[in-house]
Amino acid sequence: MSGGLPCSAALVAAASGLSASPGATVIGMAVPGVPYNTLVVACGVAAVGCAAGVVGSLALLRKRPLVGDAAAHATLAGVAGAFLLTGRRDLVSLLTGALVAALVGLGALVLVRRVTRTRDDAATAIVIGGGFGLGIALVSGITARGIPGGGGLEHFLLGHAAALTADDARLLMAVSAAAIALVVLALKEFTLVAFDASFAAATGWPVVLLDQALVTLVAVMVVVGLPAAGAVLVTALIVIPPVAARQWTDRVGTLVALAGGCGAAAALAGVIVTSTRPGLPTGPVIVLAAACFCLVSVVASPRRGWLGRTLRNAAERRAWAAGLLLDTCLRASERGDGTFTVADVTDGRTARAAWRMLEHEGLVERLHGRTADGSVPRDAWRLSGRGLDRARQRRRRAADWAAAFDRAPAAARERFSLELPECAIATDADATRAT
Amino acid sequence: MTDSATPSAAGDRPVPLVEFHDVTVAYGRRPVLWNVDLVIDAPCLFGIIGPNGAGKSTLLKAALGLVPLVGGRVRFAGEPLARARHTIGYVPQRESVDWDFPVSAFDVVLMGTYGRLGWFRRPGPAERASARDCLARVGLADVADRQIGRLSGGQQQRVFLARALAQEAAIYLLDEPMAGVDARSQEQIFDVLASLRAAGRLVVVVHHDLRTAAEWFDRVALIDMRLVAAGPTATVLTPDNLRRTYSGQVELLREVGLAVAERGRTS
Amino acid sequence: MADTAGGMHLWAIATASVVAAACALVGTLLVVRRQSLLGDAIGHAVLPGIALAVLAGARPGGVAVFGAAVACALVTVGLVQSLRAVAGLAEDAGAGVVFTSLFAAGVVIVTLGGSRIDLDASCVLYGILEMVPFDTVPVGGVEVPRGFASSAAVLAALVAVAVPTWKLQVFSAFDPDGARAAGVPVAAVTTGLLAATAVATVAGFEVVGAVLVVALLVVPAAAAELLVHRLHRVALLAVAFAVGGAIVGYLLAYRWNTSAGGVIAVVLVAEYVVAALLAPEDGCVAQVAGRIRFAWRVAREDRLAAVWRAMEHRGTPAGPRSALEHLAGWWLRVRGRIVGAASLSAAGRREAEMVVRSHRLWEAWLGRHADLPLDHLHPPAEWVEHHLGEAARRRIEAELEHGRGDPHGREIPPEA
Repeated sequence: MSGGLPCSAALVAAASGLSASPGATVIGMAVPGVPYNTLVVACGVAAVGCAAGVVGSLALLRKRPLVGDAAAHATLAGVAGAFLLTGRRDLVSLLTGALVAALVGLGALVLVRRVTRTRDDAATAIVIGGGFGLGIALVSGITARGIPGGGGLEHFLLGHAAALTADDARLLMAVSAAAIALVVLALKEFTLVAFDASFAAATGWPVVLLDQALVTLVAVMVVVGLPAAGAVLVTALIVIPPVAARQWTDRVGTLVALAGGCGAAAALAGVIVTSTRPGLPTGPVIVLAAACFCLVSVVASPRRGWLGRTLRNAAERRAWAAGLLLDTCLRASERGDGTFTVADVTDGRTARAAWRMLEHEGLVERLHGRTADGSVPRDAWRLSGRGLDRARQRRRRAADWAAAFDRAPAAARERFSLELPECAIATDADATRAT
Repeated sequence: MTDSATPSAAGDRPVPLVEFHDVTVAYGRRPVLWNVDLVIDAPCLFGIIGPNGAGKSTLLKAALGLVPLVGGRVRFAGEPLARARHTIGYVPQRESVDWDFPVSAFDVVLMGTYGRLGWFRRPGPAERASARDCLARVGLADVADRQIGRLSGGQQQRVFLARALAQEAAIYLLDEPMAGVDARSQEQIFDVLASLRAAGRLVVVVHHDLRTAAEWFDRVALIDMRLVAAGPTATVLTPDNLRRTYSGQVELLREVGLAVAERGRTS
Repeated sequence: MADTAGGMHLWAIATASVVAAACALVGTLLVVRRQSLLGDAIGHAVLPGIALAVLAGARPGGVAVFGAAVACALVTVGLVQSLRAVAGLAEDAGAGVVFTSLFAAGVVIVTLGGSRIDLDASCVLYGILEMVPFDTVPVGGVEVPRGFASSAAVLAALVAVAVPTWKLQVFSAFDPDGARAAGVPVAAVTTGLLAATAVATVAGFEVVGAVLVVALLVVPAAAAELLVHRLHRVALLAVAFAVGGAIVGYLLAYRWNTSAGGVIAVVLVAEYVVAALLAPEDGCVAQVAGRIRFAWRVAREDRLAAVWRAMEHRGTPAGPRSALEHLAGWWLRVRGRIVGAASLSAAGRREAEMVVRSHRLWEAWLGRHADLPLDHLHPPAEWVEHHLGEAARRRIEAELEHGRGDPHGREIPPEA
C-alpha cells in the first residue's frame, strides 16, 4: 500500500545525495587551500542572496512584499514536472521547469482575480495549495516508484546548497548579476512607480509594464533561490533582508545596497553552518541568519530601532523637564531675595534628575555669602549669570510661540520647526538658534 | 454664453488648449460622468466645481488616461494625450501617499524631471538645479532634505506643487490642492498658481470651496455627473446653475448608471 | 477491524474527513475576514512550538502539543503587531518575516532533535496520513487510532464552541467597529478564532503537512463562497467540499501510489475551479451567457427601432450594423415581429415603441440638464436606450415638462 513516503527513507535519500555530490563538503572555509569548487558554490549562493535582497527591496517599497509567495510554492510542481517530462536532473532543466511553473502560478493568480469574486489573499492560498500540492504529489510519487535520480528532488523543498556543482553556481551567479544590474539601471523608474504610481502613469511611464517586470524579477529570484533555500522558504530571502535594511536608512539607494549585503551575508552564513552539519537543510539556516540580522536591526538601529528611539525619547523628556525647571527657578528667584532651596523648586524624581542637569551645566550656583539680614540658609541656591540669560531667553521664546500660535497655529508650528523640542535648553546653541 | 462651443465657421478658431469631446467615464462598468463637452481656449485660472462625488477628479484622471474613457475623446492643443504628455503637469490628490517612504522633499521634486530624462538616464546637475529652484519658488528651500513624513500638511502639498513645477509644463492640472491645507499655505499656493497664469500657462484646478472659487478663478465649469454649465465665473455661478448642480438631480443618473453596470433595466 | 487493509484505509479516510471538516469550519471565518494569510502564517509558525513540546516529552497529539501550538499562534500575532508598532512595518510584510523565521526555527529543531523527536522534516511537509491507523489507543475498549481520536475531539470542541458564538463571529467579521460599539468583545472573539486556527492547524499537520494546511483551511471556503451567500451555508458547504475532497483525494493517492496530502490539496483546488466555472451568477459560464443574452437583446431592439423609425418617416430602414444585428433581423422575421420590408406586427410595434421612447426621453433629459449641443444627444441615447425600464421612463418623464417632444422636435411615444 504505502500511499506515501516513509519518513526515514527521506532522510536516507538526503544523506546519500549529500555524499554523492563531488566537492560538496565545505570544511574550514577560512583556511586557505579550500577547494576551488566549494569557494565557487559559496560565492554563487551569496550572489543569489544579494540579488534576492535587492529585488526584495523594490517589492517592499511597492508594498507587495509577498508577491512571490504563490510563485515560490508553485515551482515545486515545475521542478518535478520537468524531471518527469525530460528525465534530466541537471539544474538548468529543473530550474526552467520551475520558472515556467512560477509564471503559470502568477498567471493563475491574475486570472482568479479578474474572473471571480475571490479575494486576493484567498486566491494566493488557492494557488499555493494547487501548485505545492501538485508538486508534493509528483515528488512523492517519483520517490515511491524509485525512479532513478528522483531522490534529489527532495532538496528543492528546503534547500541543499551542498548539492550544487561549480557550474551550477556560476549559472546562479550570472543570473543574479543580471538581475542586480537591471535593478540598478532602472532604479529611478521602479522608485517612481513605487512612490506614486498615478503620477508615474500621468507622466507617461508604463506602470503596468514596470509592475510586471518587477513581478517577473521576483519570480526569477524565487527560481534562482530554490537550490539554496528551497520552495517553502525562498520568499523569506526576498522579504527579510529589506526589512532589516529599512531600519538603518531613509534613502532608497542605501536601502537597496544594505538589503543586498544582508542577503549575501545570511546566505553565506547558511552555507557555512550547514557544511559543518550535514543533514541540516540549508534553507532554514539561511532564514534564521537573516532573521537574526532583522531582529538586531529592529531593536538596535539608532535611527528607527526601538533602542535608539527609546533613548532619544528619554533624552528629549529630560531636556524638556530641565527647561521647565529652569523656568521655575526663574520665577522663584523673582520672588523674595533671589535665592531658593532645592526643595522649593523640585518635586519628585524627574525634577531632581533635571536639577542635576542644571547643576551640571552650571546654570545654578550655591550661595556662600551672607544675605541682607545676616542669616545664611545652608542650602540656598540661585541662578548663575548664564542661567539667568538662558532662562530669560527661554521665556521670551515661549511668549513668541504663544503669540504666533494665537495668530496662526499651523504657520507657527512650521516656523518653530518640528525638530526642536519646545523650550528645551539642551545647549547654548539651541538657545541662540531659537531667538 | 458657455464654453462648450458648437462648431462655428471653421478655420478661424485657434486650436483649443484642452478639449473634452462628449467624454463619458465609467468605473468598472458604471458610468460616473456622462457626455461632458468642454473646451478651454486660452491660458487662465480655470476651476472645476461641484459637490462631492460629482466626478470632478474623475474628469482630470480621464484627461490624463488614468481612468479609461467609455466614450468621447480628450485633446490637448489638438494632440492626443500620448503626444501631449510632456506639456502637462499634474498634482494628484494627497490621500494615498505613503509618508513613510524613504524619500526627501528634494527627491520628490526631482521626480518631476524624470519625464524629460527618459529611460535609464540619471538626473544630472541641470535637473538638480531645476529641482532646487522649484523648491525655492514654493518656499521650501530650507526643508529640502527632510524626509517627507516629517513635513506639515501645507508643506507636503507644496512639495507636490513644486514637483509639478519641475515638469516645466504648459498646462497644469491640480486635483484639490487646497484640501486639508491651512489658510496661509492656501494663499501661498494660490500665489504660485497666479504667477503661472501670469507666465502664460493654463492652470486647471479641481476645487471644493465655492466662496474662494468665486474669488480666484477666471472661468469655471460646474460638474455633477454631467456638465451643468461652463464659462466666465460671474456668468456661470448664478443661483439657478448652482441649484441645478448642488441640489442633486443625479439620482436618476446614478440609477441608470447602475443599470448599465448590471446590463439590465431599471424596472 | 483495524487489522485488515480495508480497515486501515477506513480509519485514514475517517481521520482525513474529520480534520478537513474542522479546518473548513475555521477557514470559513478566516476567508470572510480576509485573513487567509493568517491561516498560512499560523500553519507555519506553530512548528517550533510543537517540536519543543514533543522534545520535552509531550505525546504527539496530546493536549500539551495543542497548547504549545496555541501559544505559538499568540506569539506570532504579538510579534507581527509589535513589528508594526516599533518598526512601522505593514502587516503582510511583518507576517512574512515572522512566520518564515519561526518555521525555519522549527525545522532546525526537528532536524537537530533527530530520533528524540517523533517528527521528521519530511513528515512535516508531507503529512503522515498513511501512518495514522498504526498508532492506536484504547477508547472504551476499542483500539482507535490516536490521530483519529484527537482530531475527532478537536472537531467536537470546535463545533461546540462555534455554534453558540457564531453570531458574534459573523458580526465581528463584517463590522468590527459596529460590533465593538454594540458591546461584543471583539478582541476575545479574534483571539478565540486565532486559537481555533492553531488547534485546527495541528490536526491538519497529520493529514497534509504544515505547508498545505492553508489549502485545507482556505480552498473549500473560497469555493463555497462562490456558490452560496449566507455565511452559515458557506460554512456547511465548505465542510462538505472539504470532506468530499479528503475522501476522493485519499482514494486517488492510493490508486496512484503517492502522497495523500498533495493529492487532497489538488482535489480541493479542482473543486474550486469547477465552482468558479459553474457558479450560477458569478461563474464564468454564467457571465459569458449573460453577455451573449445582452448582446442579443441589444441587436433585437436596434432592429425593431430601425424599422419603427422607417415607418415614422416613411422611408427605408437603416441597414444592420453588424452580423449579430443581421441575425436578429432574420429571427424577428421568423417570429413575425417584422412583417415585409418595413413594417411591424402589433407586438413588434409595442416593443419598438418602448425602445424609441427610452431613446427620446433620454435625449430630452440630457438636453435639459446637461450642457450638450444638439448633435451630441443621439449617441448617448443610442447607448442608454437599452437600459431603461418602465419605472425609469416614468421618472424621466416626470422631470421633464409634459407635452414637449424630444429636442429635435419629434414626438415621444407614450408608455404602452
